[in-house]
Amino acid sequence: MSTLATRQREFARLLLDEARPADAGVAVYRASVAANFSAALAATYPVVRRLVGEAFFAEAARRFVLSHAWASGDLNEYGAGFPAFLAAYPHASALEYLPDVARLEWACHECESSPDAAGFDFEALARIEPLRYAALRLVLHPSVRLIESAYAVAAIHEANAPGRDGVPDRLEGPDFVLVRRVDGRAIASCVAEREWRLLGRIAGGDTLEAALGAEAMGETLAAWVSQGIVAGFTAPPCAR
Amino acid sequence: MSPGAPGRAGVGIGLRAPHYREILERRPALAFIEVHSENHFGAVAGAALDRVRADYEVSLHGVGLSLGSSDPLGEAHLAKLDSLVRRIEPLFVSEHISWSSIDGRHLNELLPLPFTREAAAHVASRISQAQDRLGRALLVENVSAYCALGAGEMSEWEFVSEVARRSGCRLLLDINNIHVNATNFGFDARDYLEGIDPALVAQFHLGGHEARGALLVDTHGARVAGEVWSLFGDALARFGARHTLIEWDTALPALDVLLDEAHAAERAIESTSAMAGA
Repeated sequence: MSTLATRQREFARLLLDEARPADAGVAVYRASVAANFSAALAATYPVVRRLVGEAFFAEAARRFVLSHAWASGDLNEYGAGFPAFLAAYPHASALEYLPDVARLEWACHECESSPDAAGFDFEALARIEPLRYAALRLVLHPSVRLIESAYAVAAIHEANAPGRDGVPDRLEGPDFVLVRRVDGRAIASCVAEREWRLLGRIAGGDTLEAALGAEAMGETLAAWVSQGIVAGFTAPPCAR
Repeated sequence: MSPGAPGRAGVGIGLRAPHYREILERRPALAFIEVHSENHFGAVAGAALDRVRADYEVSLHGVGLSLGSSDPLGEAHLAKLDSLVRRIEPLFVSEHISWSSIDGRHLNELLPLPFTREAAAHVASRISQAQDRLGRALLVENVSAYCALGAGEMSEWEFVSEVARRSGCRLLLDINNIHVNATNFGFDARDYLEGIDPALVAQFHLGGHEARGALLVDTHGARVAGEVWSLFGDALARFGARHTLIEWDTALPALDVLLDEAHAAERAIESTSAMAGA
C-alpha cells in the first residue's frame, strides 16, 4: 500500500465523517464538498426544492450526499438516486407525490444531456417492402423519457417552472408524461395512456406488429416521426 | 508562447451558463473563452459551446479528472474529454495538480497532494497517461489549499516544478492560489515565483478569494484582490506575458464586471510589455 493512497483514504474518511473533530482547514473542505454536491442537486431538482423550501432541501441534500457514494468526476450526472432517497426519506412522507416529481425532474435532466440523433431516414423506409413493415422496430430519440405517476406530476412540474405561481391547474392524476427535447430544453407533457403505453412498447424494442397490436394509431406514429420523437427504425435482415 | 497559442498574450474570461446569450450577442473582444470541460460533455451544452467556438478560441479547463488520485485514471471521463477536445480544437486543455477521488468515491473537490517525491512521481505519470490518451499536451494548475495532507519533503513550488519536469507538461500558474496558500501556510509568495522556471509557465489564472477566520478561501466569487494584482505584476516581470484568465464561478456578477477585470489584466500585461520593450 502506497503512502499516498493511505493518506488520501484517511483524508477522505475524515472529510465525510462529520462527527470526527477536525481543524478549520478540514472544515473548509467539508463545507465545500457539501456545497458542490448540494448545488448540483439543486440545479437538477429545482421543483422539488421549491416544493419543500430551501432549509428542508438543504438538509435532505446533505443527508443524501453523505449516504450516497459518487463514482464520477462529472457532477452533471450526479443525483440519479435522489428520487428513491426521497421516497424513503421519512420527513418527506407527507408529500406523497414528491418522489415522482423528482423522477420527472431527473428525466428532464437526462433528456437535456442526451446525445442527438440523425433525422429520420425516410429514404431508407421507402426501400422497405410494405409487407415487412410489421417486423420493423421503431427507435425513439435518445432524449425521450417516459414517466408514469398516480399524481398530477406534469401539472405540478409546470406550475413550479420559473416565473409561475406554483399553483397547478389540476390536482388529480394519474399522469402519463412524455419528456422530449425542443430547442435544447426538456418539455414534459401529458399524453393519453394508450399513446404512452405504445411509446413504452416501442422503447422496449417491440416490433411494430407487437407494439400496435389491434390499435389503429398510424396518425399518432406519423406525428411522432414529424416531431422527432420517433427518430428512426431498424429492420430485420432480409429473408432470402 | 506555447504551441497553439501564437501571437501576443491576451486575456480571457471564464464563461458560465448565465452569460452565454450575452457573449454570443455582444461578442466582446477577448483572447479566449474558458469553460469547464465537464459542463460540456452533454449534447446540448456541447452545441452551445460550438457556437462560442465559432467566434472565440476556447480553453477547456477540467475539474474532474482527479489526476493525483491513487485510483486508476477514469477512462470513461478521459473518453468524454477526448471527444470534446477533438470537436472543439481548443487552444488549451488544462487540469489540476490535485486529487478528488479515492476507492471509487468522487468528492468533486480539488484536494491537495502531499509534497512528497512519491506523490510528484505519481501525478506526473498520470499526466503523461492523460497526455498520451488525448494526444496533446496538458497544462496543470497549482491549487489552493486549507490543510496539508501530511508531512512533505519539499516546498509547493518545488513540487509543482517536479511534476512539470517529470511529465513534460507546462504549468498554469494561478496567482490567486499562490497568494491564498502563502497566507494559509505562511510562506512568501515571491519565493514561490522565484522557485519556478519561466520556461515551465504557459498561462496565468486570476480569481477572487474571501477570508474565513484565519484562512483565505479561493471562492472565485469576488474581484481579484489588490495583493493578487500586485503579485500578478511580479509574475509578469519574472515570467513575461502569458495568456491570462479571469475566473469567476460563484455569485456570478454581470458580464461587464468580468470584462472590467479582464481589461485590468490587459493593462497589467501591456505595461509589463512596454517596460520590457523599453
